[in-house]
Amino acid sequence: MPEPRRSQLNNGAGIVEIDLPEAPVVCLDLWCQAGSAWEQPAESGIAHFLEHMVFKGSQQLSAGEFDLKVEALGGNSNAATGFDDVHYHVLMPAAAAPQALDLLLDLVLQPRLESDDFNLERQVVLEELAQSEDQPEEVAFQELLRQACNGHAYGLPILGRREALEAHTPASMARFHQRHYRADRCCLAAAGPLEGLQLNARLADSPLAALPRAELIPAVQPLQLQAGSTRLELPRLEAARLLMAWQLPGAADQDAVVGGDLLTTLLAEGRRSRLVEQLRERLRLVESIDLDLNVLESGCLVLLEAVCEPERLSQVEQEVRRVLLELQEQSPGEAELERARRLVGNGYRFSLEVAGSVAAMVGNSQLWGRRHNLQQPLDWLLHWDPDRLSREMIPLLHPDRAFSLQAVPA
Amino acid sequence: MSSGVSVEQRQLPGGCPLWLIERPGPEILSAKLWLRGGSSGDAPGRRGEAQLLAGVLSRGCGELSGDALADLVEGCGAGLRCEAAEDGTLLSLKCASGDAALLLPLLLKMVCQPWLLDDQVSLERQLNLQTLQRQREDPFQLAHDQLRRLLYGTGPYGHDPLGVDEELAQIGVDHLRQRASRYGEDGAVLVLAGRIPAEVEQLLIQGLDASDWTCRAPQRAPGPQGASQSALATSQDDTEQLVLMLGATTTPLGAPQALALRLLHCHLGVGMSSRLFVALREEHGLAYDVGVHYPARLGDAPFVFHLSSGSDRAAEATAELIQEWQRLLQEPISQTELELALAKFRGQEALGRQTSSQIADRHALVLGHGLPFDFADRCLEEAAVLTPADLQAAAQTLLAAPSLSLCGPASALQAAETVWQRQGFSC
Repeated sequence: MPEPRRSQLNNGAGIVEIDLPEAPVVCLDLWCQAGSAWEQPAESGIAHFLEHMVFKGSQQLSAGEFDLKVEALGGNSNAATGFDDVHYHVLMPAAAAPQALDLLLDLVLQPRLESDDFNLERQVVLEELAQSEDQPEEVAFQELLRQACNGHAYGLPILGRREALEAHTPASMARFHQRHYRADRCCLAAAGPLEGLQLNARLADSPLAALPRAELIPAVQPLQLQAGSTRLELPRLEAARLLMAWQLPGAADQDAVVGGDLLTTLLAEGRRSRLVEQLRERLRLVESIDLDLNVLESGCLVLLEAVCEPERLSQVEQEVRRVLLELQEQSPGEAELERARRLVGNGYRFSLEVAGSVAAMVGNSQLWGRRHNLQQPLDWLLHWDPDRLSREMIPLLHPDRAFSLQAVPA
Repeated sequence: MSSGVSVEQRQLPGGCPLWLIERPGPEILSAKLWLRGGSSGDAPGRRGEAQLLAGVLSRGCGELSGDALADLVEGCGAGLRCEAAEDGTLLSLKCASGDAALLLPLLLKMVCQPWLLDDQVSLERQLNLQTLQRQREDPFQLAHDQLRRLLYGTGPYGHDPLGVDEELAQIGVDHLRQRASRYGEDGAVLVLAGRIPAEVEQLLIQGLDASDWTCRAPQRAPGPQGASQSALATSQDDTEQLVLMLGATTTPLGAPQALALRLLHCHLGVGMSSRLFVALREEHGLAYDVGVHYPARLGDAPFVFHLSSGSDRAAEATAELIQEWQRLLQEPISQTELELALAKFRGQEALGRQTSSQIADRHALVLGHGLPFDFADRCLEEAAVLTPADLQAAAQTLLAAPSLSLCGPASALQAAETVWQRQGFSC
């Protein structure tokens, strides 16, 4: 496994590099602690809206010029806003990576936020919101999070509330940018054939090196998921849904994240996982059942989704409950856990084939002060045995600790 | 192909071509078995058969029950998928190379000795019916299905590979047995990429000695055709947005003008500097999601613009989308635009060769279409000499009479329809 090389600029901005000489492209990934959870109430949706506005130009680049230059060099770029953080990434043939680096830093750290572009891009964000509201499944998940997260930012939509989006101004967005896009809240990850990039020399007089440190910003509150249940009637829904949410320890506890990965895999990954086998294969109650671990700083969220006929919904809920209670009472077998270890381990190894996902993994870790190398998650996998899983992880997935939502066609 | 990669062509007993792409790097093996014959081969009255059959292949084969097979695959932490698309059925395996000896024998066994138990078929059929139902929640899916009907009617490309409810419900085990016995008749190809195990052929045919699988390399052959008349279809749905899909049926992968269309696809729909993205999203703020859908097909492939826009801006969105299509017919793109499209085409090729799975997948697709192994590299060379006039000529030949599919609320449908009548491509 290639080792991450870490360094820090004088202002505290983090750098992490992974040399993958065989990879056909370089990925540059700029991370920032500026997800939607850092918004104040009136700022609803501004973190994500800013991510859009970044591509509308900077001190040196006009709107769209960045995309044009990157794509003309055979690369591509994108960005994603989460609850905790936002990141901007470029994939580039190695020869063009130095140029891409200069463009990326200028683009993200010195956005123009011009008024005309701002108003136009607001339309695009409102279209994005409308598009997501036309998917009833999205609406159901949003409602689940809203009720389960009990006032925490993870319960609020990343896209924002419509009225708040309509009230944002370039000035309020600039304030958000200045508050959060700061040296000690940013880090740059580079993965791929890095020979020739000369990252440190290039960064010395870059906008990243010129970035001030952040003022004191109050931390995001820890998540305190609320158990409970609710029922929702949704127009345009064709199949009923059972959605459930549980809280696990936050991303800082990576060992627990691995434990959570094992547990969700054991329960719902593959035909021989407990929930899939019981609900889909044997009882044939559901079209599908999924259990996803969302790794988040203030507390990870495990989200279950079962798709079924409306008249089967209560039976599905009882059966999910029964499977989970059975696991509380009896530890999983070693073979069952080994199956989960292999699935999680291979999923991880497969993801290392792509420079983009390597950069994202080490970039995200670096951003939040985690210093493990690429081998470490595979070692953590071995630390979990059936007893420890039963003691430390399985109780957290007790059905009584969940918030559950039943969505039925209106 | 990057350094350290070696390619070897062999043949399995029975005739199936086997391509081995040995790559240094991670200890991973990806295998793709591409069988000619997908949903376009579903007989009338049995639409959904190819996908149903693909889905049950992994529910028991050879000496392994469905449970035993799942135990083996999942126990190795491997991924195994069997899916039908329009032109072919694809079996994909991805695993740690150390597990290849255990898993590779499954591929041909699933094709030659599937159990196809009644009980498992009925489960898989039920799941497919439920998926069809759930898909109707998605206005993009509705608009897409509607466009498919406009472009291909009840022809071979006229239905989703999952099928048509009433017909899928009637498909039984006997139909599947018959269909499975024809796997390979129209050609098949197996591509392995990554770390190739020793004696790989023995592994692949393990347990099959008495019943060698007879098949041949996929040949070039004419594929299904599409409509050439312009038409409109609307579907009322109580959504916030109007979904628009404007598309035409074109030409097969590898056909004379297909590469010119691929460059037009890059020009119009690839990346944030693409024409549709800039014109509709950046200049007019009309949409979040806008793009071009142009899949590789054996027959007349669809070439589709898609967009969703707020209902109150339905007329503007329709007018702009139609105008972008007409522009292709009326004027050539500039030399600068062509160079950008070329850069994107090359960039996509490089980015699509990052993993063993991607590499195996792309070669299996090309070979499955009866095209040469180095087809992608040849395209890169041929694309470099195309001119703006070539692209315009392709558009004029293939995109002259597009059809429009709309899904959204009544008022938006009406507004869009008015624009289409005024500005559209009447027959």
